[in-house]
Amino acid sequence: MTVEKAQLTEPLLLEVGVEEIPARFLAGSEQSLGERLTETLQGLRLVRPDGSRASTFSTPRRLVVFVPEVVLRQPDELEEIVGPPVKVAFDPEGKPTRAAESFAERNSVPVRKLLKIETPKGLYLGLRKRARGRAAREILAAALPDVILGVSFPKSMYWTEKAGPRFIRPIRWILALLGEGENSRMVPFEIAGVKSGRSTYGHRVAGSKAIPVKGFGQYIEELHEHQVEIDPRKRSEIIRSEIKAVLEGRNLNAVKDEDLHDWVINSTEWPHALLGNFDPRFLHLPREILVTVMRDHQKYFAVEDASGALQPNFVTIMNLGQDAAGLIRNGHERVLTARFADAEFFWQTDLRVRLEARQESLASVTFQAQLGSYADKVERMAGIAGGICTQLEQQGEIEAHETEYVMRVVRLCKCDLVTQMVREFTELQGVVGGLYAREQGEPSEVADAIYDHYKPTSVGEACPRSKVGAVVALADRLDSVVAGFAVGLEPTGSSDPFGLRRAGNGIVKIAIESLSRLDLGLAIATAVEFAGKIFAGSKEDALGEQVENFLRERMEFYFREVEGLRYDTVRSILSPNVSGRLNVPATALARARSLELVRDTEDFLALAAAAKRTRNILTKSGGVMDGGGAPAVNVGLLGDGPERELYAAYEGLKKDLESLERAGDFGASFRAMAGIRSQVDLFFDKVLVMAEDPAVRENRLRLLIHLNRDVFARFADLSEIAVENRGSAVT
Amino acid sequence: MTKSAENGLTFQEMVRRLTDFWAHHGAVVALPYDLEVGAGTMCPETFFRVLGPNPWSVAYVQPSRRPADGRYGENPNRLIKHTQLQVILKPPPETVQDIYLCSLKDIGIDFHHHDIRFEEDNWEAPTLGAWGIGWQVMLDGLEITQFTYFQQSGGVDLDPISVELTYGLERIAAFLQNVNNVYDVKWNNSLKYRDLRHREEFELSLYDFECASPDSTRQLFEIYESEAARLLKDYFNVDRDHRPTRFPLRKVYEFCLKCSHLFNILDARGAISVTERVALIARIRKIATEVAQIYLEQSIPAAEVEQV
Repeated sequence: MTVEKAQLTEPLLLEVGVEEIPARFLAGSEQSLGERLTETLQGLRLVRPDGSRASTFSTPRRLVVFVPEVVLRQPDELEEIVGPPVKVAFDPEGKPTRAAESFAERNSVPVRKLLKIETPKGLYLGLRKRARGRAAREILAAALPDVILGVSFPKSMYWTEKAGPRFIRPIRWILALLGEGENSRMVPFEIAGVKSGRSTYGHRVAGSKAIPVKGFGQYIEELHEHQVEIDPRKRSEIIRSEIKAVLEGRNLNAVKDEDLHDWVINSTEWPHALLGNFDPRFLHLPREILVTVMRDHQKYFAVEDASGALQPNFVTIMNLGQDAAGLIRNGHERVLTARFADAEFFWQTDLRVRLEARQESLASVTFQAQLGSYADKVERMAGIAGGICTQLEQQGEIEAHETEYVMRVVRLCKCDLVTQMVREFTELQGVVGGLYAREQGEPSEVADAIYDHYKPTSVGEACPRSKVGAVVALADRLDSVVAGFAVGLEPTGSSDPFGLRRAGNGIVKIAIESLSRLDLGLAIATAVEFAGKIFAGSKEDALGEQVENFLRERMEFYFREVEGLRYDTVRSILSPNVSGRLNVPATALARARSLELVRDTEDFLALAAAAKRTRNILTKSGGVMDGGGAPAVNVGLLGDGPERELYAAYEGLKKDLESLERAGDFGASFRAMAGIRSQVDLFFDKVLVMAEDPAVRENRLRLLIHLNRDVFARFADLSEIAVENRGSAVT
Repeated sequence: MTKSAENGLTFQEMVRRLTDFWAHHGAVVALPYDLEVGAGTMCPETFFRVLGPNPWSVAYVQPSRRPADGRYGENPNRLIKHTQLQVILKPPPETVQDIYLCSLKDIGIDFHHHDIRFEEDNWEAPTLGAWGIGWQVMLDGLEITQFTYFQQSGGVDLDPISVELTYGLERIAAFLQNVNNVYDVKWNNSLKYRDLRHREEFELSLYDFECASPDSTRQLFEIYESEAARLLKDYFNVDRDHRPTRFPLRKVYEFCLKCSHLFNILDARGAISVTERVALIARIRKIATEVAQIYLEQSIPAAEVEQV
């Protein structure tokens, strides 16, 4: 219980001065410190629930939190101490008993000062004490070290001694200021031998002189004076406008790169853009290589003209106000020249060896310890890709000459792993292989497919441009998934050491977008044949089932998260109860989209409810669910009225659905299904399925089995559709 | 400003100023080590002295071999044998970054005209069981120093830790002299880097890439390894209290370094598979960690005696 009264507040400014924090961890560290401080202040009742929120800032050399309103003193707290029950505390004459006296003694008050307190258990003797709240400064001095040292980092270090504190990098100063102006006071504490103070430090170029701080406003001003912008959002704006400014009037644009943009924000205190040039002779190198060198190795923005052609320029963000003598630009240009010269050397020497001549070397590159080398992987991929091509040729998805390309691509696609270029720029695997293949005169179908075969690396990235590339990309991932499962590398919970979920998402995306007739079940069987059996002890059937379940989950994920389909729509489409050609992901998606469109109509929801009811009845009666071998309905045994009408409607619908399926029109199919809703409703309303006469009962169950097989679970398991709160027509 | 500073310091003058700088800050200026090493870290003056509790501060120039970077003297930036200035500060002073930056000022780098950055780079030497947390120091986009808070060496947690500064001398000199090719760096006022080192680069590259036989390199590796193993076995076969104080520990360590260098040659030749690579690294690390263990066993009692 707190004592409410007007609470005086003052601002708290905390700055932790750190040696350069890695750019990739800066934003997370800033956020973590802010959250920890806010939670602690709330826990200690030093902020009002409705008080203004803390703001956080950061540069590579500092983590900053500003809390505008911290109460000067914790609110006083009334503490209630409950003693013995009143019944026990006084004798019949009303005199205090020993129990009352000893309670009073323990709490150093006379018995007469004790109160009678109403509790849920009855009337008790007790007292209320006022605990004085402590001053914020005193509490913070004790709490702030834990707040700071509790910030979580992906990788931390020690620097004083092994038993000493751990942090992302050594802490070198701490500014902890409570209040503003003349009345401001420092919050005293110490971490790792660093005493908190009331000073900050400017940019390195401003020297190491301490700058006294009197309040947040003056702190910001002084830091601007000393070339530090603590607000990453402002640095972001500065960087954008500076890049624009240096390219102004030249009809040039920086190549967009948000990751790089974030990196430069988080690696500067005082960012300024600088435009540099490089020798245009390097433009003969592929754009991919030039951009990678600039972006990944030098953190430069590449520059292109209005038509998107790469120009011999770059933009670098320096952490300094100006480059008056042009020395910085000169330095960057020299470094970039050396980098490009290296890349050029790799390009020229790598090209001297044909990709196909590198195949043997793949035997010395490990794919995964248990799964052998890349040469082994290529062997497996060849088997899988061959099987997929056979299937796709039969389905008319690809032609024989494409199969030939696929087999060539499989042989060549991993060969760039042993080039100097990929050793130096691993992020360019595949791309480099494609570029070399083109230079060495491989057909563009082959070169492009090599180039593309690591795509898509995420569900947001495009698939390979051609079917040839798609087949190879698919075979590559199927091999990783099946071989991975075979040796127990399957993902569990949040851990997915081999990246198989991503591979699985890629498989689904390729099947849907690039190979719309692919029978995934068949492809899995092929993959198990080639990738599964080489691992002794793994049972092929179990492996196939595991992989199928895994990929069904990936499809569910893809349909929900990427296609935005509703949960039960997806479950309904991918239900194992649905017989037929569920294995073609592109068809399953088409069905799901059609279902999503009609599922909310009243007729359809009623039908879904009936499907559920049918399923329940069939489950209870132990009926054959898939209806595969169910004997035909005996028309003679059908009762007149609803039963016969339903059968007639079913017979008509069945024929319609067959032709609609041939036409691939699932929307019309689902609408047609909804068309028999009244007959279905009437049947369940008027006809008792579990009739006394066993022959009649059996015949009605048969009718439901057929209805379930040919309608309710034909393209989707309609019993999975949630009808709660909607289906008032049927219960 | 001296004449040489106007045009950028000569290589030898720059080296002198840097070692003088660290000598003034209390470092012992040690001599280069006389075996092939991949980096200054591998010299005994670093590998052993960062272990245990005793303070230590040292600076030395160390030619360092990277067979994979051999370019027959044809590449303007890559060298099979480059020169490092290695500095160890144990324990590091709180102002270690500032002191380091002052050393750069001493060789003529003005931070009002150059952009200096500390970019995350966590150094690791798996063959030595050593790693640390730190940065690559970038000067106008050029990596000039590896700055590391050593956390572990020889598989042992360090306490206190050391800061290791590794200056890449050729590239700093090229930067100061504003030349694009390391062979054009003026060694003194009459000779260039080319005059002293170019032929050596060619010959070392020639051997490592063409003449070295993977088989004999492998055999050498195994001979050195077995020699180290023999000595280590003799040592560890005795129970802890009776282990010999007369033990050629630094010689065993030399065999470890020999293995490490031979491994690098094999690696540069592309003669080892990835799996084998991991296994070979583990074999070298085994020697390194046992050597570190013996060093600690032998030196800690000694320190206690001194205190008495």
